[in-house]
Amino acid sequence: MSTLTDIATIARWEVKKSFSTMSRDILPLAIILFVLLVLVTGFTAQTGLHLQDGMYRVGVDDPQVAQLIASDARFSVYQLDASTLNSNRNAFDVIVVQGQASGHGTDRSNAALKTLSRDYGKYVNSVYNTETDLFAAYPLWIDPESVKSELSFLSTQSGQYISAAPSRAAPVPEGAVQIIPTPPPTLSISEDQIRAQLVQSNAQNTQISRYTEVLSSSSALGGFKTPSQLSPPLPFDSIILVFIFIFPLYFTSQFFMMSIMNERIERKGEILLSTPVRASSIIIGKALPYFIGMMAICAGLTLYLRVSPLIILPLIPIIFFFLANALLIGMLSRSFKELSFISIFFSTIATSYLFFPSIFANVHVISLISPLTLIVLTIQGTAWTVTDYLYSTSLFWLTGAVLFYIAAKNFKDERLFSEKPLATRVREFLSEILPPKYPFVSLFLLSGFSIPFVFMVQMMCLVLFFNLPMPYSLVFLLLFAALIEEFAKSIGIYTLFSRDAVFFTGKNLILASAATAIGFLVAEKLLLFVTIAQISDSVFGSILFLSLGSLWLPLLLHFVGVLIVAMCLKFGGKKWFAPGLTIAMVVHCMYNLYFILGWLG
Amino acid sequence: MKGKHLSIIAKKEFRGLFNERTILLAVLLQLFIALFSSFLMVGLTSMYDPSSLSKYSHYRYSVAYTGNESQLLSYLKTSPDFRVYQMDLSTAVAALGQRKLAAVIYVPDTRPDALDPIKITLYTVQNDLQSAIVDVKLKDIFLKYEQTLRQIRGGRLDVQPLPLQIPASTGGGDFYEFVYGLLIPLLVFMPAIISSALVIDLITEEYQHETLETLISTPITFPEMVWGKVLTCGLLVPIQAATWLILLMVNGISIGNPVLILLHVSVTSLILILIGTLVALHYRERTAAQFIFSTGLVVVILLALAVPSNPLNLLTKLAVGSAGTEQWLVLGVVLAIVVGLGYVTQKYAEMIAKNHKTG
Repeated sequence: MSTLTDIATIARWEVKKSFSTMSRDILPLAIILFVLLVLVTGFTAQTGLHLQDGMYRVGVDDPQVAQLIASDARFSVYQLDASTLNSNRNAFDVIVVQGQASGHGTDRSNAALKTLSRDYGKYVNSVYNTETDLFAAYPLWIDPESVKSELSFLSTQSGQYISAAPSRAAPVPEGAVQIIPTPPPTLSISEDQIRAQLVQSNAQNTQISRYTEVLSSSSALGGFKTPSQLSPPLPFDSIILVFIFIFPLYFTSQFFMMSIMNERIERKGEILLSTPVRASSIIIGKALPYFIGMMAICAGLTLYLRVSPLIILPLIPIIFFFLANALLIGMLSRSFKELSFISIFFSTIATSYLFFPSIFANVHVISLISPLTLIVLTIQGTAWTVTDYLYSTSLFWLTGAVLFYIAAKNFKDERLFSEKPLATRVREFLSEILPPKYPFVSLFLLSGFSIPFVFMVQMMCLVLFFNLPMPYSLVFLLLFAALIEEFAKSIGIYTLFSRDAVFFTGKNLILASAATAIGFLVAEKLLLFVTIAQISDSVFGSILFLSLGSLWLPLLLHFVGVLIVAMCLKFGGKKWFAPGLTIAMVVHCMYNLYFILGWLG
Repeated sequence: MKGKHLSIIAKKEFRGLFNERTILLAVLLQLFIALFSSFLMVGLTSMYDPSSLSKYSHYRYSVAYTGNESQLLSYLKTSPDFRVYQMDLSTAVAALGQRKLAAVIYVPDTRPDALDPIKITLYTVQNDLQSAIVDVKLKDIFLKYEQTLRQIRGGRLDVQPLPLQIPASTGGGDFYEFVYGLLIPLLVFMPAIISSALVIDLITEEYQHETLETLISTPITFPEMVWGKVLTCGLLVPIQAATWLILLMVNGISIGNPVLILLHVSVTSLILILIGTLVALHYRERTAAQFIFSTGLVVVILLALAVPSNPLNLLTKLAVGSAGTEQWLVLGVVLAIVVGLGYVTQKYAEMIAKNHKTG
């Protein structure tokens, strides 16, 4: 009970303090800036973004066509007669002579042609939308239907094709055939509704809709599409969603970061620490207002955008993760510039982890490793399951929790007010959660807790490398997966070694390696069991999580890996850490290769 | 103001940056983004222009054609991308579920010149990379069929659009606009934003760590200290921007006029850096200064983007090589703003120094 009271008190202080820091002369300026922001946004929406103006030069012989093309600011249009155009064709990216556009094969020229054809398509649609006989202008409609695959979708994920061997005869399905009712030949909505929809989707501000075409085309045509609307949804809606939801969160966690940093530089934290309040209560109390604030922002955005409140669910672990990182960054950095750079670095990486997978939201199951995909799916009206939720958010929950734990353990005078270099401080922070009394138990736990981070980084590599052509993606993944695992395992040993090199007698060396290896294996097993089953079945997964087949082999591998690094440290000192890692990585790779080759062959 | 004093301050700040290895983080960050965006490009290209990946282009997808005969069937049969089977709808969908087919098309019994539209039902496998590729390839065929139908029904149209023949895309150029019109201006301009945030850190740090007194008790004056910090941040911009340009070029993206781009970025960044300086001098506290500055930054950048021929647009034009003499006019305007802001900064710093002495 008293813990709760402590937390509430600290939270109240935090709110009061941040309002006094945000002194009175900030508020008026902030309000003015906010009003300006709204005005400027309106103004920009009116005039459009002039970022790509004049990228292409177009020569045209016909004034009407010139006018048509010039309506897109990306084109600088020059109206000249046909013979001048033909003799100077390389001065332009595209020339239009007698209604025939032509380029000259460079990238820029091709891009100009593509843009031109997109613009022309828009113009043609705007003409056709006014036709009295709408179905003469749009004679063909597509009704896309999805069929759930009976085979696991993981097989195509890796780029393999599962299809009948090329033959003249039509493929024959196995088993009983379910009768599919013949689709009705008519559209189920009226001509007027269709026209209204077509006009609306065509009439948007072209400069904005260049990036947002999906948001509009996914709307209520009853799912029917004209052929030109038939393409995988562009990813740009994800970009906008990320900006709308993640940016306020990033902003707010900056305030939290600063609040922690201020405690340190102004040494106010010392007073707090001298009270009998527990460090964890202080941290939770300080984080609470920001957490509530972020939730309020998200709820507000949800209401404003009129989307399902379900999207809050995947946002909670993101907020939690952001706060945990903000706390640690605020505790680690020595100066403002370090704070700035680390936080920019962190937010870029976090944003890419969140945002890049969600680009493939409609295409690929891999996209589910980002909670943002769930948001995209919710907004599109696609359902997701509890398993999906666990799968995409569990890493955020776990890493957030581990970071909070590390921060709570280190929230005390000698850590907060020291001025050592970043790497040393990180090592000290880790050292704090490795009590000297129980070195092996803590090594076991540390390597276990490193698993969520390892998975997160490996997931990131998976997303990165899945874009590469097949053999390269495997090779890169192989190397990086091994390196990441070996690095994570050796962190504990390295920390112990730099604290107390004498500790590593022959016996202790083996015991420490064993504790680390077992911890790693157990946590890996546990986490995989809960969540990653989906990915671990694919070709990529088999590299990341190869060591699951039997128990003693992977254990041996982990043990040997750690032992190599530990031996290098013992006999070579700290400067042998990197070479040791490399050797361990090579051994790890060989092991993986052996299994993959065996498995492929 | 003495140049020597400026360089002392700048050297001190650079040393600080190098000692903390923060500069290393910045470089890592650049590498990371460059890596990611080039991977992203490969991924996106393979998604939207599947033929760009050779292994896809030689593959013929099996599709089932069900329902009634139409012109569409012959388009599919002549296409090099598809192997067409005429099947019964239920069997075909079952085979699709077992991945023996890539798509199933059902065509109803509607005549090409009927009053009603022709509604084709397209069955594909849910959430699948292959379906996305098949969709893109089928789209071309559907468009061709739509064109044919439009011609058949052409007599019923009351307005005809202006005719314009555009050659079919020859591949390539897909992400030209994304790279040159969005990625390059944003990436090249990012150092300016980082530097302006950095100048706030450098100035508020002196206040909050209470090191200002010591610094001013040396022969260095307060305005000199401020300008030294502005100089440091200003010098970082072309260095970082040049790193970007080199990384992009290594990635095979050719960039026109790199020197001019650096010149424009360096001068334009001074606007942001000076705004950051003024905000920092006013608030003397990082949280407040960064908050006000970043909100202000959004306003300034949005406003700039709303103006035709803004400096960011100029970066795009320089990179694609279509910038003309108007760039010098833009540079002149930017320089005028910089000089104006510089004057205000100098006066403000002098005022603060005077108050400090008297008070």
